[in-house]
Amino acid sequence: MTAAHKKDPAKSTFAEYDYSNFYYGAGDDPLNLLGPFTEWYREAVPNGYYLYSEPLSSAPTTKVRVRNRKTGQVVDLINMASYNYLGISYRDEVKEAAIEATRRFGLGASGSPILSGTFEIHKELENEVAAFKDKEAAILFPTGYSANIGFISAIMRAGDTILLDQYSHASIVDGAILAKSKTVFFRHNNPMDLERKLNGVKGKKLVVVEGVYSMDGDVCVLPDIVEVAKRHGARILIDEAHSTFLFGPNGRGVAEHFGLDKEVDFHLGTFSKSLGGQGGFVCGSRDLVDYVNAFGRSRFFSCNLAPTIAAGLLAGLRIVEREPQLRARLWSNVAFLRRRFAEEGIDIGKSNSQVMPVMVNNDAKVLGVAEKIQERGLFLNPVTYPAVPKHKSRLRISVSAAHSEDELETAVQTIKGVLVEEGICRA
Amino acid sequence: MPGLTRYGYRDAISGFFEFPTENARRILPRHLEPAELHHGSSIFSMTVFDFTESEVGQYGEVVMGVIVSPLVKPGERLPKSAFYPYLVGTTTKAARDHAIERWHLPHWMDDVEVGFERQGKSISAGVRVDGSPVAELTITDHSWNPVSHLYQAFMKDEHGAYLASITMEGQQSEHEEETGRIKLYEHPFNKDLAISEIYEQPFREMWMREGRQTFEPLIQLQTV
Repeated sequence: MTAAHKKDPAKSTFAEYDYSNFYYGAGDDPLNLLGPFTEWYREAVPNGYYLYSEPLSSAPTTKVRVRNRKTGQVVDLINMASYNYLGISYRDEVKEAAIEATRRFGLGASGSPILSGTFEIHKELENEVAAFKDKEAAILFPTGYSANIGFISAIMRAGDTILLDQYSHASIVDGAILAKSKTVFFRHNNPMDLERKLNGVKGKKLVVVEGVYSMDGDVCVLPDIVEVAKRHGARILIDEAHSTFLFGPNGRGVAEHFGLDKEVDFHLGTFSKSLGGQGGFVCGSRDLVDYVNAFGRSRFFSCNLAPTIAAGLLAGLRIVEREPQLRARLWSNVAFLRRRFAEEGIDIGKSNSQVMPVMVNNDAKVLGVAEKIQERGLFLNPVTYPAVPKHKSRLRISVSAAHSEDELETAVQTIKGVLVEEGICRA
Repeated sequence: MPGLTRYGYRDAISGFFEFPTENARRILPRHLEPAELHHGSSIFSMTVFDFTESEVGQYGEVVMGVIVSPLVKPGERLPKSAFYPYLVGTTTKAARDHAIERWHLPHWMDDVEVGFERQGKSISAGVRVDGSPVAELTITDHSWNPVSHLYQAFMKDEHGAYLASITMEGQQSEHEEETGRIKLYEHPFNKDLAISEIYEQPFREMWMREGRQTFEPLIQLQTV
């Protein structure tokens, strides 16, 4: 080892590295990356990474009590970070349903869904989800992540081809890895590139898209994707994690919004976003659901969704069905915030949904910007490389139907003030 | 420091492109693992240097590479990344002989022509062999910052497998705006690449200028 190769203990590593530098590392010991990572992470936390995983001590309503990991202080903030798009998870009827289920069933399901872990409440939830989505049947998964990995690996095999949008959620990518299929990425929301990648592909083909992409908040160009996929004989899976219960005349999702509910082959959703709960589901024909029940390993090798959660979700789903005004309220809030951001010259990228990235476009400044914003009373998530491309750092905002216009206006003013101070945005 | 080899450059421009991991594995020796951008997508890099100072004078160089997993050892500085240069082209025989002898780098064995052209915020480098174009790379700039980054280069030839630690210093612009472009021509120079599988826009563009490249002494690896 030469002197130039030795690490300098006095030198800061935070600015030189990022998460992407600690993934690959050949050598003799699986723990070789632990030392460099720990050294970096210990610097990263006080430099802004403390803003991640800050513990909450209140419900994720539009105001939230958060412990600042840097100062240890507990502060009350306007919540612009939680999903809970319809503000349902903390409604009294949801809490009461969950409490009642806990009294009746105890803490958990205590079994796999294919053995002893299926309760009547699970079947009730599956039936009501299927009815809501206007499908023959639905099947539950313990998380959205397990829904994607379980469903994709249940229907695709080695030798098949899975075509993924380059901005696909990790659960979709991991599903493709687990399926051992050939994985081909097409450029984000780009049907022409999908066409190029589909040309000449033989055998079973699955195209996977998301209704709303979670980092940019842009809606899938589904009509063009469906046209290309159908022409090439590919099946289509849409992950409506961020769009189920929100988009379309009945809230079924982006596929319904575009009038393509029947053209899309597989519909996947989650309960953790719009309902603010937990779990995922796939719906379609009874035959499909029976097959996934048999081969969805992530589902039946996990304990079933806790009955208490299932009961809360059922109550939440019923609120969605009987209160369509919640969706109207959400879209009104989204329109208000979009208009105000535009008036203030704040860039929200390509967002056309309730997920809004406030573009900072400065990797060196984004954590400092987020820190100042939190100090002034807003809870939101900074997102930087490698979660998004270099120099595409942003603050991710989730709009809820529960936000008041006053809260949204406060958010606009707070963000604007900090962006101007930091030279990101003009006064 | 004794044993170091230094090169000064005016411009060093790199484009990084997704390409199928199957293609990467066809290029790489068995002891190296490609780094993947996504599952199934590895990273092909093209770097063009305009060297102004070296033991063999001024010359141009093109390096075609695959990004691989770096070798990490406790107590040593973590490399920013590592690559396997599978083909190098130089504008002079002296530069070629020097790099083969000292670094065991695999070379196109005739002189290549390397031409740089700046236009506004972009810079292009064209590589020609016997008057025929083989590759053209265009990238654009972003914000400039002084850097000193450690990289690893892995080489393999009939004598063995090697590792060179390289420090790149200078002003650096790096971004992922997808504003660059590559044009690869059907030519024996590109025989290792499935050209149709390489997206013409780099996902990352890196431009270093007025900098210095420092090689530490070559290490022979015991992996062969």
